[in-house]
Amino acid sequence: MLILKNISKKFDKFRLIDINIEISEGTYYILLGRSGSGKTQLLELIAGLNRPDSGDIWLDGENITNKKIQERRIGLVFQDYAIFPNMTVFGNIAYSLNSGKLDKIQVKESVLKIATQLNISHLLERNTHYLSSGELQRVALARTLITSPRLLLLDEPMASIDANLKDDVKKLLRHLNRQGLTIIHVTHDYREAVSLAGRVGVIHNGRIIQEGDPEDVFRKPVNKFVARYSGIRNFFRVEFHKVNGEWKAFGKDNLVFNLQGNSYPARGMLIIRSEDIRIFSKMPSTDPANCFKGVVREIVPSESGMEIAVDTGETFYVDISVDTFKQLQINELSEVWICFPSEAVTALKVEE
Amino acid sequence: MNRNSPFYWILMVLSSLVLLFLIAPLLGMFLKTGLGEFFETAKDKEVQESVWLTVWVSFAATFVFAIAAVPFAWLLARKSFPLKNIVNGIIDLPIVLPHTAAGIALLGFISRDGFLGKAASLVGLNLVNNSGGIALAMAFVSLPFLINSARDGFASVPERLEKAGLNLGASPARVFFTISLPLAWRSITTGFVMMFARGMSEFGAVVIIAYHPMIAPVLIYDRFNSFGLSYARPAAVLFIIIALVVFTLLRLLSVRRVTSVTEKKYADS
Repeated sequence: MLILKNISKKFDKFRLIDINIEISEGTYYILLGRSGSGKTQLLELIAGLNRPDSGDIWLDGENITNKKIQERRIGLVFQDYAIFPNMTVFGNIAYSLNSGKLDKIQVKESVLKIATQLNISHLLERNTHYLSSGELQRVALARTLITSPRLLLLDEPMASIDANLKDDVKKLLRHLNRQGLTIIHVTHDYREAVSLAGRVGVIHNGRIIQEGDPEDVFRKPVNKFVARYSGIRNFFRVEFHKVNGEWKAFGKDNLVFNLQGNSYPARGMLIIRSEDIRIFSKMPSTDPANCFKGVVREIVPSESGMEIAVDTGETFYVDISVDTFKQLQINELSEVWICFPSEAVTALKVEE
Repeated sequence: MNRNSPFYWILMVLSSLVLLFLIAPLLGMFLKTGLGEFFETAKDKEVQESVWLTVWVSFAATFVFAIAAVPFAWLLARKSFPLKNIVNGIIDLPIVLPHTAAGIALLGFISRDGFLGKAASLVGLNLVNNSGGIALAMAFVSLPFLINSARDGFASVPERLEKAGLNLGASPARVFFTISLPLAWRSITTGFVMMFARGMSEFGAVVIIAYHPMIAPVLIYDRFNSFGLSYARPAAVLFIIIALVVFTLLRLLSVRRVTSVTEKKYADS
């Protein structure tokens, strides 16, 4: 288990503040944050490339805060892979074994084994200058995994690889995690978190602002930043009022949202996830709590199918499957109805 | 740039004048030296010994000082410490000092009354008028070339590669020898060649420390002083040719790509 306890560290123009994280063995932990949020710096503190100004880092019951990098057995794969350009692929992977403890045959066998697992055995004699970014990433992973790390740290592993290779890399990382390897994966892309994470931490301006399992973090964001960051596009500034004993939110252009719950601030923000909104070509006969008539302004392909922008005075983004889209037979400027239940509405206090 | 532009032609003329200024004296010296007197000088044992002394002492000085100067350059490239700017200034000091003044300063240090001189005399060594003293004088004025070039070379090696090496369990020394040094090798070799060449051509500091044994620049000066221009010229031509050959060979060596220890170790296995 990795425990970060009250970690703070000042850098030139930036600081990590009071970081507290506990990561159980075998967890796939995603640290989500924008560039400059401090996620890479936090990884480097865990790996030992820097030391915290205060706080402690515990790994498997041992305080490793002041332990040397080379003795931590924490593997770090850098964002740009940091492949040694003066060595072949073999030289890179064998680097950690080349300390005289193993003979040449053992080194060759170990390198071949890990290279075969990662499907790069055909590259072993190659110069690293001519490798693609996907191949470089596998070399960096092999070079790290051959050390049998207690913990694997990945800095933006998907950032430099082609879109068509991302699924392969995700499969590989998921496979490694299922074999029991604890992974901390830093990214700015919430979709990686959704597809890989067992646990998510959102870091912003050097602080962990929300932590939990992905469902909790993405369904119940603690503030607007986390909500927007997790890919939710439907935000509406509203005022909350109780009408006839029921809470309602009043937005622009007389939009009135029906809400659940019994306590709201005077002003706030409403969030509705795109996939929670249903779209109809006619007013539905059923009675969802919230239904609005609008005009289709834009239709663009999305990860889950199609994203439809509907103007009801406010713009709503609705995610639907391709099949649903075909059934609806809608075009830009079509009149549609969008509906969602009151449970789909998350209310947030406005940040001043 | 447009060839019809007057500015283009002004640049061409100015550049040609600078080049002519550099080439003309050397070319004149070569043209005025007859082949007969050149070969006669080349056979002169005093000249041969002097050239050999210059080459090997400069090489030895460069090699020995590189052992300490290269790690020092890494330190300057990687670490922050108090008064680092002053240290960088001290390294460049020999470049701006008059070399005779450098020689005088060094003489005070290595003469029998000086700190190093006293230490050397304890083991029966007199550094004045000795190849050891010449090496020190050459190194004193030429070290900045090696340190500055090696420091720039280390600075251009991404620090992440060194961190990756440490993260893979290597000791700092192993990271230095297998990653930092090979990747900065070209700059280090360039600095080595520059220091060596600068050491070979040093006159001012060396002549204060050791008139004898005579290194080539002192010999050329001595012949000019004693016998005149025409007698000094063939020795100067010979020394320039040898210096150019050595310089070119070392530069060619520095271009050669350095393969890693790991690659070498496993290439044949």
